[in-house]
Amino acid sequence: MKAMIIDDEPPARRELRRLLTGFPGVEIVGEAGNVDQAVEMVETLTPELLFLDIHMPGGSGFDVLTRLEDVPQVIFTTAYDEHAVRAFKVDALDYLLKPIEPARLAEALGRVRTSQAARAPRPDAILEQIFVRDGDRCWFVPLREVRLLSSEGNYIRLSWGESHPLLGRALAALEQRLDPNRFFRANRRQIINLEFIESVDLGVNGRLHAQLRGGPEVEISRRQARLFKTKMSI
Amino acid sequence: MDDTEGLISPRKSQRAYWIFQLTGWGLYNLSRFFGGVTVMNLPWVHFGLQLLFVDALAFGLSHLLRNYVRRRQWRALPIRKLAWRVVVAALVCGIPLGILTQFTDVALLQDPNEFLEGMSSALRFQLALPVAIGLEIINWAAVFLFWLAIYFTAIAVREHRSAQLKQSELARALQLAELRLLKSQLNPHFLFNALNTVRSLIADNPARAQDAVTRLAKTLRYTLTSPQDELVTLSQELDIVADYLELESMRFEDRLRIELHVPDYAAGVHIPVMLLQTLVENAIKHGIAQLPAGGLLRVSAVVRNVTLTLEVENPRPPARVRTAQEGVGLQNARDRLRLLFGERASLELDLSLPSVATARLRIPVNP
Repeated sequence: MKAMIIDDEPPARRELRRLLTGFPGVEIVGEAGNVDQAVEMVETLTPELLFLDIHMPGGSGFDVLTRLEDVPQVIFTTAYDEHAVRAFKVDALDYLLKPIEPARLAEALGRVRTSQAARAPRPDAILEQIFVRDGDRCWFVPLREVRLLSSEGNYIRLSWGESHPLLGRALAALEQRLDPNRFFRANRRQIINLEFIESVDLGVNGRLHAQLRGGPEVEISRRQARLFKTKMSI
Repeated sequence: MDDTEGLISPRKSQRAYWIFQLTGWGLYNLSRFFGGVTVMNLPWVHFGLQLLFVDALAFGLSHLLRNYVRRRQWRALPIRKLAWRVVVAALVCGIPLGILTQFTDVALLQDPNEFLEGMSSALRFQLALPVAIGLEIINWAAVFLFWLAIYFTAIAVREHRSAQLKQSELARALQLAELRLLKSQLNPHFLFNALNTVRSLIADNPARAQDAVTRLAKTLRYTLTSPQDELVTLSQELDIVADYLELESMRFEDRLRIELHVPDYAAGVHIPVMLLQTLVENAIKHGIAQLPAGGLLRVSAVVRNVTLTLEVENPRPPARVRTAQEGVGLQNARDRLRLLFGERASLELDLSLPSVATARLRIPVNP
């Protein structure tokens, strides 16, 4: 597995690298010491796993993630601020406290491996999860759990459970990386998750109204309605 | 005068009681003696003895009364309950003394009838036995009423003063506690990062790792024991700042460069403990650590016009939102200065230069 270490302290990077020599399955493809460098290297080296320090010069580890289009698996490393990590809505990630215990590292790596479906991210590949930061809160959002994506200017509003975080990307760009079997463009502004459709009603002028589980009702434009019917074989 | 709690010692109040008691009764006794001898023309030896006898009894009674009042905790009673108890107590003490006085007075006179002859009829009535006893009882009850009034006034005054003392004592204790709190506490972020650095150095450079452990121990010891002193010399504080900076430069490596300009004549000036350390920590946290390339941290000291000026200068990242914590750290340092020096010390964060932040501390030089 290709991994990268992002930490601004050289001794901390050396220490982690040394600890990882005990895990032959993990190959360190690069090290970065600040946010800009990290973003650039992740994009070119496409690691599957990041060891990411939270405190970074020129931003935080979270800033690295928000700037990445494709977020690999992440293990946070921090000397003290585990509360910053725990404040997350996280399932698929772990955090390690420095100095790192080898046993904890093994545990974290075990968790990553099981959740990692041997997926090498490619630029055209389907996105599984995205990292969203809204104000003080951060989330790893598994896209299959998002029922609705609405365009708001240059941003996308996600409807995900009870939360409605804002994502700093354009809807058109994201659409190309969404799973076409799951997501459907309902109208100019909205993309819906087909798994969340509860019922569909006929509207006027050939439009359709799709009621989503957990709300709201979304209008499917006339042009898209035809496509929708073929797709759902109605 | 009473069982005390708090700041006035029981011994001291006991002595005050006896002084009051003896002078009070002594003066009362003397004034009656001179009154009797000069106005009433009474034979002074007999009269004196009689007075001594009766007043000694009154004195004893008042002492018993005081013990009784203390045992029954009268001072804790509300004023209305206290008032009627005081009146009853005064009467109870007055009755035996009144009767006794009347009979010793009569015994004093060699021939009471002869004595009465010369008196007006009104006075004669007054000296008739039942009336005279009544008057003597009222007289003594009034004396005891007066005694009790003084007693309880004294207690009230003392309790008020003791409460005031406690109040100011409390305020001082609070201020001390506040000072301790305001001192920079152990910074866990620094501690764990330093430990991580040490772990790395153990493999990379064992000699450096040993040095790091020693410095870390010194820094911790200073931080943990510093609440015992308020002020240390600048050179004491600089020792620890140097250890701290050495540890941080092991962590940041070439991102942290350090310059110290502290002339020898400034080394002995007393400064609040951990204050320079706090400023240096801030400079690293908000300056060096935020910059990918790091930068130069400069500490300089100057003494001019009996004022020490300490400056901690660090490069600052381009216009970032200042975090709330930065404000808290500086505000704490300012509060400490105010508690220790009042208006004579100051601390400012100079952000007039675009890429440099300077914390400037001014402290009066001790004589």
